[in-house]
Amino acid sequence: MSQTSASAPVVEMRGITIEFPGVRALDGVDLTLRPGEVHALMGENGAGKSTMIKALTGVYQIDAGTIRVDGAEHRFHGTAQAQVAGISTVYQEVNLCANLSVAENVMLGHEVRVGPFINWPATRRKAREHLALLNLDIDPSSQLGSHSIAVQQLCSIARAMVVQAKVLILDEPTSSLDKAEVAELFTVIRSLRDQGVAILFVSHFLEQVYEISDRMTILRNGKFVGEHLTRELPRLELISQMLGRAGDELAAIEAGAQRVAREDDESRTPLMTALGLGRNGSIEPVDLELFAGEIVGFAGLLGSGRTELARLLYGADKSDSGTLSYAGEPIRSAAPLASLKSGVAYSTEDRKKEGIIADLTVRENIALAIQANRGAWRRIPAKELDEVVARYMTALNVQPPNPNMLIRNLSGGNQQKVLLARWLATSPKLMILDEPTRGIDIGAKAEIQRLVVELAAQGLSVVFISSELEEVLRLSHRLVVLRDRQKIDELANGPEVTSSTVLEIIAASTTEHEEGAA
Amino acid sequence: MTAQTLSEKLPTTPPTAPRASDRWWHRLLDRRFLPVAGTVATLILLLVGGQLRYSTDDRSFISMRLFSNLFIDNSYLLVLAIGMTFVIISGGIDLSVGGVVALVGLVIAKLLENGAPLPFVLVVGVLVGTTMGALIGVMVQYFRIQPFIASLAGLFLARGLANLLGKTAIAIKDEGFASLASWKLKFGERPDIWYINLSMIIAFVVLLIAVYLLHYTRFGRTVYGLGSGDGGQAAGLMGLKPGATKMWVYVISGTCAGIGGLLFAFYTKSGYNLSGVGMELDAIASVVIGGAVLTGGAGFVLGTFAGVSVYGLILVICNREGLEIWWNRILIGAILLGFVLLQRVLVARRR
Repeated sequence: MSQTSASAPVVEMRGITIEFPGVRALDGVDLTLRPGEVHALMGENGAGKSTMIKALTGVYQIDAGTIRVDGAEHRFHGTAQAQVAGISTVYQEVNLCANLSVAENVMLGHEVRVGPFINWPATRRKAREHLALLNLDIDPSSQLGSHSIAVQQLCSIARAMVVQAKVLILDEPTSSLDKAEVAELFTVIRSLRDQGVAILFVSHFLEQVYEISDRMTILRNGKFVGEHLTRELPRLELISQMLGRAGDELAAIEAGAQRVAREDDESRTPLMTALGLGRNGSIEPVDLELFAGEIVGFAGLLGSGRTELARLLYGADKSDSGTLSYAGEPIRSAAPLASLKSGVAYSTEDRKKEGIIADLTVRENIALAIQANRGAWRRIPAKELDEVVARYMTALNVQPPNPNMLIRNLSGGNQQKVLLARWLATSPKLMILDEPTRGIDIGAKAEIQRLVVELAAQGLSVVFISSELEEVLRLSHRLVVLRDRQKIDELANGPEVTSSTVLEIIAASTTEHEEGAA
Repeated sequence: MTAQTLSEKLPTTPPTAPRASDRWWHRLLDRRFLPVAGTVATLILLLVGGQLRYSTDDRSFISMRLFSNLFIDNSYLLVLAIGMTFVIISGGIDLSVGGVVALVGLVIAKLLENGAPLPFVLVVGVLVGTTMGALIGVMVQYFRIQPFIASLAGLFLARGLANLLGKTAIAIKDEGFASLASWKLKFGERPDIWYINLSMIIAFVVLLIAVYLLHYTRFGRTVYGLGSGDGGQAAGLMGLKPGATKMWVYVISGTCAGIGGLLFAFYTKSGYNLSGVGMELDAIASVVIGGAVLTGGAGFVLGTFAGVSVYGLILVICNREGLEIWWNRILIGAILLGFVLLQRVLVARRR
């Protein structure tokens, strides 16, 4: 299906080493990209994938090693130089200017000119041609921000192709796309590959990596582990190479997280009760009971109202109908601070925007919720804080174990652990976890899953939200199924409940709802 | 969502054929153009209202005379507002321009009083503004100081220096300067005589240069990129030069303030340490009325032109109505509020 054989490599990175103060982010890593091939760069969070990409795109300077493009050695100082050498990147978050037009975003830097003027009509026409190559028929003069993320992503690929890139780097391009959009993107990737472009693909979704890639390079802890043809590398082998653990050990972690057992006790009183709780335009009225020691999974597709319900329970949004009571007391108007004080913690869906404060240290990020809980003016003794921080960092295995590091320098999985630590430090009774495992690697994911189970075993009530249905099924005692901003069913989890059971429930009551059946 | 994006991708028409969304009225309703459309609508409303109320049988309100007076009285403001447009689109603000106008006026008056040659004085006057802008630009770009604070410091510095130069108004008596200030071309027949003076010509040249810079160069696109909400990160990754651009934006605004100071000196034929108090706010108001978004990333030079026209027309109408000067402020305030609310609605719709 592709020329995996003799073609000369377009990029050869040898012995790449990059050091940050106190950390060796990359240690003698090799990477070879060949034309007409999709190459996956694999590794856990913190393995050095992003650093490697930034070395190749000139964002970071390398401390040792060589980068050869088409046989010629390069030292990139900045993205512009890498682009000139034919290396283009589509970043995880769309890195274009949403306030400019599609044409401007695609063509900027390569505009058609008449003397000193930019010829806008011609520039737009050229942009349209480039977009058409990707099967994208949108008005080039429309504002980029008015299009869906998927279209924006395709625009940034179109931009890469305007520069006639020989190498296209796709860093987590699918993380915010739905299934159909991913298929669309893969069609584009394949057609670019067939035109002889070398593609470097980074993704957490193993399925997608196996679907699209021809070859992969595996990194672990900033070191090179191996390069394999995708079709010759079984999944379990890949995962164990990524984690540096034997496959069966990994299976044990997964199994450890599978303990789904709960004594049914009719006399229990719920910790939190919602009766007809709803908010106009956000979620239809919902009845819900949450018990101590129980994990309740919210299952539903993206946009089904999972997050909206969680926000109502926490008081991040105001409800306009129904009642909410907590530990037997009615809550008149829920608000985050009051919820926090009474022992409800909410870890948000969007880690970057609503979770971490990037410019503070790990220690300060953990301290935030404790501080809020105690009142902004009460000083927390440094010693006590150090103890708390150290305890949770060890318990959650935060890497690197340095509380004074800026949190933005941690990998996604470790940021998530710090967030969990932040909320756990407030000793909550009810913990709402919205997508706690999104965008983090398998090792950290298994750790977080195990932690959730442990917390529930210790008597915490947990609401678990994830777009990975399998994960929800594995962890939850009880499932709340949502669709179209409504709670449509609630069922006890058990061995007989599978993802198809849930999908059938979602698909059942309406026939015209196509997404549910997919 | 899915259905919509899929249909967007379906090649229903040949890619080069014009589509419904390409038509101008669709673009008019685009978020980027809506505020400017609002400005133009306000302008037309004021003109038509004035025409109906003030026109007499032998004399129309809308006339070349009206426009001529409008820009004779507001050329300095137009130049200041054009400079401010660059800064605001980049997501910054420049509070120093009023102070710079006073400083430039006094520098010109003092130099001419001491017998310096006129061309030298004019150039130095403008360069005072450029220097001030460069200073603020360096503070903002290289010392990462908030534009609000950096330009506030610039304002205090300029006012302070102006006070050092003189605490009373200094009349400019230089003959060359006076002849430049009063030079004008006469058009039309009585009673519809109208003029084009030097200030107007300078202001319109600045306008043309600004349109070129902002709308027809890569530099201009970088200015918009700076205002896109990520501090120019995306622009940098696209291979543009956001850092240098941010600095240049303040240099441009400073230079415009220098030219504005010169035009104001033409207009008043004097230098005075208390002139231009609050003028920076008038400039900002005109830019916002002209459709630029205060958080950056959207706006047009011609929008600012329309904004200054609205500002000037309100003054004219208040005069005609015999209203006290404070009514200007109230009306401008109300219109400004209307436009800021419109921006909020547009931003809210984006979310």
